[in-house]
Amino acid sequence: MKDTLALLQKFNAHPDSRCWYVAWNPKGTLLASCGGDRAIRIWGREGDSWECKTVLQDGHQRAVRKVAWSPCGNYLASASFDATTCIWKKKNDDFECLTVLEGHENEVKCAAWAPSGNLLATCSRDKSVWIWEVDEEDEYECVSVVNSHTQDAKHVVWHPTQELLASCSYDNNVCVYKEEDDDWECRATLEGHTSTVWGLTFDPSGQRLASCSDDRTVKIWKECQPGGGQGTDTAWKCVCTLSGFHGRTVYDIAWCPLTGALATACGDDGVRVFKEDETADPDQPVFSLSAHVPKAHSQDVNCIAWNPKEAGLLVSRSDNGEIAVWNYQSEV
Amino acid sequence: MVSQFSGVLQLTDLDDFITPSQECVKPVKVEKKQGRSVAKIQIEDDGSYFQVKQDGGKQKLEKAKITLNDCLACSGCITSAESVLITQQSHEEIYRVLRSNKQAGVAEQKVVVVSVSPQSRASLAARYGLSSSEAGRRLTAFFKGLGVHHVFDTSFSRTFSLLESQKEFVERFHRKEQDKQALPMLASACPGNQLTSETRAQFHKGLNPQQIYHVTVMPCYDKKLEASRPDFYLEEADTREVDCVITSGEVLKMLEEEKVLLSDVEPAPLDTMFSSVCGDELLGHAGSGSGGYLHHVFTHAARQLFGEEVKELTYKTLKNKDFQEVTLERDGVVVLRFATTYGFRNIQNLVQKLKRGKSPYHFVEVMACPSGCLNGGGQVKPLPEQNNKELLQQVEDLYKEERPLVPEEDQHVAELYQSWLQSVGEERARELLHTQYHAVDKATNGLLVKW
Repeated sequence: MKDTLALLQKFNAHPDSRCWYVAWNPKGTLLASCGGDRAIRIWGREGDSWECKTVLQDGHQRAVRKVAWSPCGNYLASASFDATTCIWKKKNDDFECLTVLEGHENEVKCAAWAPSGNLLATCSRDKSVWIWEVDEEDEYECVSVVNSHTQDAKHVVWHPTQELLASCSYDNNVCVYKEEDDDWECRATLEGHTSTVWGLTFDPSGQRLASCSDDRTVKIWKECQPGGGQGTDTAWKCVCTLSGFHGRTVYDIAWCPLTGALATACGDDGVRVFKEDETADPDQPVFSLSAHVPKAHSQDVNCIAWNPKEAGLLVSRSDNGEIAVWNYQSEV
Repeated sequence: MVSQFSGVLQLTDLDDFITPSQECVKPVKVEKKQGRSVAKIQIEDDGSYFQVKQDGGKQKLEKAKITLNDCLACSGCITSAESVLITQQSHEEIYRVLRSNKQAGVAEQKVVVVSVSPQSRASLAARYGLSSSEAGRRLTAFFKGLGVHHVFDTSFSRTFSLLESQKEFVERFHRKEQDKQALPMLASACPGNQLTSETRAQFHKGLNPQQIYHVTVMPCYDKKLEASRPDFYLEEADTREVDCVITSGEVLKMLEEEKVLLSDVEPAPLDTMFSSVCGDELLGHAGSGSGGYLHHVFTHAARQLFGEEVKELTYKTLKNKDFQEVTLERDGVVVLRFATTYGFRNIQNLVQKLKRGKSPYHFVEVMACPSGCLNGGGQVKPLPEQNNKELLQQVEDLYKEERPLVPEEDQHVAELYQSWLQSVGEERARELLHTQYHAVDKATNGLLVKW
């Protein structure tokens, strides 16, 4: 009974520069990668290999840190070190720059679409998290600016079904936001990590949140109602900590929406997949290391993403610009 | 750690994490001399620097100094700690001045003037359960008890600002066909200097402006930075228009330090020279709690440009309660479209629209704080049992209780305008009543980038 993580393909996404991020489109047919060369590349599968379909250039003046596909798959948001977020619209096989969202003081670290497709969240080194709203005419307006972090905000992620937002930061905390009246507020601050929290991911049901950190651990958080089930404020508790598995900083984490497997990208060049023990108490989950490729890349692995439609298809990306496609098989 | 400054006024790229390679990037003006570029720098035992030229001659190098003003325009470093910036202007500073005044000889004594903003008054009134005028009278007594000579109210100077704004808008509206940049006009009172220049100029004719120590009580901290602006420095008099800005919260601290309850202080008669007073009541202005700029410019413009007397303004709430619109229609066509835009997110959207030329407004009352000045960062904070929203409502109610004075009907202001204008001339008056905005260059420094 062995779970396996097999390498399918490796290719170099952004020659001569660092590749910062890679994201699957909602249909699972395309990969968007972005990098230090300020470009975004769209990759499609041709038989057994991945081919670069389009290159989106001239959108940014500095490295593109992250890209995010809208839930409908027709828009791309790219977050850049030039302090702007560019919105691209799909036109046939190409993308054109629709609008540029300005406002952050400095490097934008992440952009993420809400499940409804009407809201976009961005976070930046300026410690703030912005929530934007898009109307029918593709006009973007800032709805809220929340300053809950005391340091560089690294990543934002939306709940899979609700309008609930989470962000993590160099200040070692995770913040959870909800809309109140006509403004967004930080409803909970999740403390526990002892160093920068780099990545966040919700489980398929949205009940739990996983965070990964420079402190080499992964923490699983669960929302729990305070005693009496009253009020609107809920607390998030850390119900599980995975420590001792990672040799270095854990840069990214992804929870597979189809299988529930948890994959991590680590600074020790390894890719790991964790599986949850089905028999454990839901309030005290147990995760075990299911598969591990120690030298997945020759450098730090800083991004990992599960294909949303094909179970077991995983992509990882490394500091040296390489993208690797894996197949994860779990023997139950 | 929550910043006391409003979100809009931020010292950009600030970081309290100082890396070994990170230095102050403020360039010091250096006299560039022609010739060979090689020179040695020698550090003496006492820490002074000498430049050793090729012929062996030594030249002492000046120490680079950074002032508060230098920092304001720069994306900072060492002095990023807010405390440094704020302590230069605090109630402790006032005590220091009052103390040295008591000890100084008559010739060196300063005339200490405190101007209180109506928003600060309303905030303190709410805390002590007084009316705004009652709070004003007691504050007068309290400050005078400490050694302050005069206590004025900034509504008076605000009248000047409102009048000038009204005039300027009508002027711009007339120009709008020729000058595409004439509109929209943005209310610049935040943090707009409330015309304290004339206080100095007119005050005690014969008094050297340097002898006046002017303190203002404001609802926010941003005003402190604003008072330090070089534009508000009177060159000829070698002194600032406002020496020290303290917040409503700081006045509360002063009262607590003196172990005084404002409600227990015996009220004193109000100083009238630079205040809008009627008997023992202070008068205010109609409109928003942030100065009523939209209200006054709108009613004036409606009258001047379209002959309409607007008795009541209907505010329409747009995206959120901090973004409201007022329109004037003529035969079904909108001829005037004004808006109030409070808070960072709304300002962001306004700026974006302006950049694209898509803003439909003729005039916008822009304020950095959500809910405006009454909710400023320096206002008295709610007590543990108080609800933020309830307190704000209380402060708003007290503020609005002050009887409004129509700026054009203010005799006192009219008299001052005339006599002062005559004495300084229209050009000079315009110079003194208006200020300028300067574009701040953002310095990008590779050393400041953090991953």
